[in-house]
Amino acid sequence: MKKIGWFCAYTPVELIHAAGFLPVGVKSDSGAEHEDVVLGDSICSYVRSCMGGALTGAYDSLSGVVIAHSCECMRRLADGWGYRQEEIKPRMLHLIDVPKVVTDSSIAFFAGGIKHMKETLEEQVGPITEDALKNAIETYATTRMHFAKIDTLRKKEAPAVTGKEVAALIEKSFEIPRESFNSLLENFIQDKEGETGDESAPRIMLIGGPGNSSLIPTIETVGGLCVVEHMCTGLRLFAGERVPHEDPCHELAALYLKKAPCPRMLHDKAREAIEEIQAMVKDYRVDGVVYYSMKFCANMQMQYALLKNDIPLDVPVKVLEGDISSEVNAREVQSFIKRLKKRRKKNR
Amino acid sequence: MNREQVIKENTEQRKIQIENLLCAKGLEGISPKDAVKMAFPKAFEDLSPSAKRGYLNTEQFFNAYNFNIQGEFEYHHLAWRSLFVPTEIMYAMDLLPFTSEMVASQLAMSGMARERIETAEAHNFSGDICSFMKAVAGGVIENIFPTPDILITSTHLCDPSAKYAELASHHYNRPEFVLDIPYGLYDMSIRGSEKDLKRVEEGVEYVCRQLHEMIDFITEHTGLRLENEKLRQVIRWTNKARAWLEEGNDVTLHERTAAKKGVRELDYAANLMQTWGTERIVDVYKSRCIDYKASVEPKSKGTQPRIVWFHLRPYFKTPLMNYLDEKIDLCGSQINFAYWEPLDLADPIRAISRRTVLHPAFSSITARTAIAIDEIPDDTDGIIAYYPKSCRHFHGGSIMENETFKKAGIPILTIDGDCVDDRGEDFPIVKTRVDRFMKSILKNPRSAKK
Repeated sequence: MKKIGWFCAYTPVELIHAAGFLPVGVKSDSGAEHEDVVLGDSICSYVRSCMGGALTGAYDSLSGVVIAHSCECMRRLADGWGYRQEEIKPRMLHLIDVPKVVTDSSIAFFAGGIKHMKETLEEQVGPITEDALKNAIETYATTRMHFAKIDTLRKKEAPAVTGKEVAALIEKSFEIPRESFNSLLENFIQDKEGETGDESAPRIMLIGGPGNSSLIPTIETVGGLCVVEHMCTGLRLFAGERVPHEDPCHELAALYLKKAPCPRMLHDKAREAIEEIQAMVKDYRVDGVVYYSMKFCANMQMQYALLKNDIPLDVPVKVLEGDISSEVNAREVQSFIKRLKKRRKKNR
Repeated sequence: MNREQVIKENTEQRKIQIENLLCAKGLEGISPKDAVKMAFPKAFEDLSPSAKRGYLNTEQFFNAYNFNIQGEFEYHHLAWRSLFVPTEIMYAMDLLPFTSEMVASQLAMSGMARERIETAEAHNFSGDICSFMKAVAGGVIENIFPTPDILITSTHLCDPSAKYAELASHHYNRPEFVLDIPYGLYDMSIRGSEKDLKRVEEGVEYVCRQLHEMIDFITEHTGLRLENEKLRQVIRWTNKARAWLEEGNDVTLHERTAAKKGVRELDYAANLMQTWGTERIVDVYKSRCIDYKASVEPKSKGTQPRIVWFHLRPYFKTPLMNYLDEKIDLCGSQINFAYWEPLDLADPIRAISRRTVLHPAFSSITARTAIAIDEIPDDTDGIIAYYPKSCRHFHGGSIMENETFKKAGIPILTIDGDCVDDRGEDFPIVKTRVDRFMKSILKNPRSAKK
């Protein structure tokens, strides 16, 4: 099966699926870690890693990539990719712009962008039928439904689901056909229903971007339990409510723009993001928040300044700045978890 | 809060904020009225073109605190603005823009940026956030800026500015309007395929609709209304100013002129300025053009290499710009490029929308460099790009940009610096790089490569 790579949680992957490609999520640890041949060092480590991966053949199995223009760094990834296209095997490069506000007209405009992307894919594979797209939307809706069930399990007092397990599932979702992934989720839910986990572990909400693969293991090794990840490799991938529309591109546009937002989003959606975080702290009975802000991501850095300075979250917030592969300071995390443990014991 | 309450609260707050500003500047004890009078020692008409530009900015700055140039109280409806939000509609509605990035550069010019940046960093603003925004964030925390009536932000170009406005809106408890500008339409307009051109038109329509919503937003929150005839007048001024700007640019690009100095030329920053749509900006660009034409020198007279400047300059005190004035003839600048066609008086909102979405700076490196290669005359010796290290948009693409210009036979020097934060300033090192660049230009002149 031919594959198309994608980088950002705002990429309407249903369309890639409907075109008969396997959408492959480009993972944060799949490329060279410190590419500095094409992009300047003010670009975030995820994008530089992706660029490094492209130049060193890590994505040679892909037929092409779709880059969602979600931020300044992604913009430069598209530039770098196009600039060095002759050295990069995946030939197709499509940049889709994603609005930063959610209004009727931004949804309509984004729907136009999805149609524009559809035309690019059709140049590769021929017409993508409306039925194929509707079926793809259905298949991905099943994934969202399963993740909603997993979330319900994680909200329980002593959840049997760990952050590490969810991270492993999400990693799997990046590489296997969606139908198989849905079966895997179904089995996972069956195994976990009725089970219980550690009741004493402080419940952690993780906020961030593409993250750092050692972050969740570090938190859980030192005694914390991740119960929700408001991240590009977490909630932002699978949250969102489907509102059927006669035009499937419009339906996708609304689904993606209205979902749990990345800090890139502005205006009402940005306010909603903060309210959502506040509500989640209660819903998931969070004891503490770890905000993993990626260096050189202005959107995340601005959001954590807002959270730290002006928004009461009612629980302690630990901000860690780093990149996709930097070592997470286990001692720093441990002392935060220790503090939360005491607080949790006292509160109970 | 109703409009009257907003005006009352803003009036009270701005009185405190001007005092705080003067105090931060080390002018405690001086009354705001006296400070305003001191800022305007000469009449506008008696000033040089560049000083006229400065006068206009300073006048607007004090207006934002409710002072006219006599130092008398005059309430101004104020909109916090990020760069690239079109100002014509604001002026047509009597709404005064207060551009956050420009304020940061003013802080740097008056030696006030560093402390504000340190304030921001002490309040959870990360070290690698754009220094323009950190200076502004520090100023907001210290309460030295005027409380706006509303905020109007654009997603054009940089993430930090739009994102910071969200924080400012929360801080001041004032409503915000966000203009969502699609990226990459300039590239599509160049590619020119049917599907791309269709997308460009969709983008123009999308922004046009938002501009109409912006007008409604302004009216809803300030009571100000848009009169079509006033908008047309404002557009006429913009078109006249643009014509003078372009004519002046032609002189600088093709002639050597004694009147031109690097710093002054860069400070016109024409395609970033908040003064488009004012009557006085016509005078500024007209005077500039006349001044340059009157001082044209024979080409044989000058020996300094002719250099095109990319991006902005350091606004804090540094010997760099004076040194460059001695060494180079700054014959063009990216930020003064009149990239847009005159605006259509018959459909001004759509024309503003088209100008906004087709801004070439909001495009790929390939498109940006292609424009420069086309526009830079053969007798230009090279480019100096001054990029803040924290700028993802410009600095993030500088390696590709360098390679492209070198392939095209245009020498380029990229200075990794900062426009506002002077803490990493190291003039001797930059000077060495400039000297080496000049030496290589003289040794291998561009003309010899052709």
